[in-house]
Amino acid sequence: MSAKWRRTFWSWAFLMPFVVLVLFPFTVMFVTAIKPATEVLNPTWWPSQIQWRNFVTMWEATNFGPALWNSVYVSVVSTGLAISVSIPAAYALSRYQFTGKGFFRQFLIVSQMLSPMVLVIGLFKLVVWLGILDNVNSVVFVYAAFNIAFTVWMLQSYFSTIPKDLEEAAWMEGASPFKALVKVFLPLAIPAVTVTAIFSFINAWNEFVIALTMLRRQESYTLPIQIFSLVAGRYTIEWHHVMAAALVATIPVAIIFAWLQRYLVRGLAIGAVK
Amino acid sequence: MTRSPFTNPYVLILPGFLLSAFIILWPLFQLGNISLSEVNRFGQIRGFAGFENYLAVFNDPDFYGALWRTLIWTFGIVIGSIGTALPIAIVLHEDFYGRGLARVIIMLPWAVSLTMTAIVWRWALSGESGMLNSALMGLGLIDTNIQWLAQSSTAFPMQILIGILVTVPFTVTIFLGGLSSIPDDLYEAARLEGANPFQLFARITLPLIRPFLNIAIVLNTIYVFNSFPIIWATTQGGPANSTDILVTYLYKLGFRFGKLGEASALSIMMFALLLFFTLIYVVLAMRGEKE
Repeated sequence: MSAKWRRTFWSWAFLMPFVVLVLFPFTVMFVTAIKPATEVLNPTWWPSQIQWRNFVTMWEATNFGPALWNSVYVSVVSTGLAISVSIPAAYALSRYQFTGKGFFRQFLIVSQMLSPMVLVIGLFKLVVWLGILDNVNSVVFVYAAFNIAFTVWMLQSYFSTIPKDLEEAAWMEGASPFKALVKVFLPLAIPAVTVTAIFSFINAWNEFVIALTMLRRQESYTLPIQIFSLVAGRYTIEWHHVMAAALVATIPVAIIFAWLQRYLVRGLAIGAVK
Repeated sequence: MTRSPFTNPYVLILPGFLLSAFIILWPLFQLGNISLSEVNRFGQIRGFAGFENYLAVFNDPDFYGALWRTLIWTFGIVIGSIGTALPIAIVLHEDFYGRGLARVIIMLPWAVSLTMTAIVWRWALSGESGMLNSALMGLGLIDTNIQWLAQSSTAFPMQILIGILVTVPFTVTIFLGGLSSIPDDLYEAARLEGANPFQLFARITLPLIRPFLNIAIVLNTIYVFNSFPIIWATTQGGPANSTDILVTYLYKLGFRFGKLGEASALSIMMFALLLFFTLIYVVLAMRGEKE
């Protein structure tokens, strides 16, 4: 027992510098967000009075509502699109042996590595060609396509853990393969699909460079671009509003991510082994 | 049993394959095309230019600065994050009180968008009002405010430190996966033989997590090489392009200076480099699978 307490002490002592470094930006965000406007420029660690109203005034001042809606729309629709094409692909990878399976898997790995960054000019031309520049649907389309590799990979690794016997039993009972898939397999796969969808959602929620390139008018800004636009190339920056907005945009997603990250580890690990 | 399209694997993978192939191949084809053409700033092709755009990239002195900094940036962050993540992962692998909480805290930077992280740091690093200066002064480490982001000699190291901070969680995750794959009885047997902790690490831990170390190096190299938001949201490559790396230089070429031909040529070269890194990854991953 005392050995574990000693280990606890040394472990925390060792981790402390990094923990402080991780929590430092969150503290800065929070403390700045609750400062009265007149105190923002003083680098004190606690305001003379806590100004919760900043979160209310921020909403109007930073155009938070429309950007929030755009972010939600983009993240939900791109995730839906990516998941709906990934489920059948992942099912095929986990259930069937076929020629070209190895190629398809390699293709997924390669496309996961090639970040949109090096393709950004080509993607820009594509979006112009499709006539959807400045339209949130342009990023929906790009996010969905770039997320497919990740979602197929994750889903396939979880699908492989669902026993095949149940679907086979359903076939024996005379169910068509489609019916067996929908009635027997999918209900079992719902947890895996949910976790994968949440990670895909978070990826889209946090993405920067594609949104920065494709969305040029404020009506189409997503949250990262909206908040970036409040600090980029401006002489007066309302830091208390910016930090309040960053906090509201960040905390819900960070909590969900921290809660689910062990599934991410497991999914990626199984996917790499199988 | 009747054949239905739902049992044909090719039909099942087709939509996903088409969508992701299209989003890579179409832009890639366009990039190749533009990089060999004379283009105006709106991307309209005026004629064939051969390798002129490629030569123009090599004749731009800013390119070499950005290239050099990309090397420092990539190796700095990859080595720094692996050096930090390995001991953290080893500690987190041990059982102690509050380990769950410690894991959540250490994973946090991964959950936050890089844009937000960079904006918060830009604020924390500001000269007169920044909390970092005030914290360092409180600790007695400095006695005058430092303008962290105003010159590249402090801005670039700070950006690398931020890069390390946000890369550690992913790297720790890979190492934790590696550590949990080592059976405990190996350590017990070695301890019975009288091995000390250093020998345990050097003779058991390190060789056995070697494949995970390789994967972490290659994946981080690829991600860091491509990382745009940290530099863009703190300094936009400034002051005077002194913190530009290839990705920010590429973005400026294409979308600020309207030199789409040169930007495309640079993209193609970076694409080739990434493909090379990816092939290393695939080879490493396949070797791991065989073992």
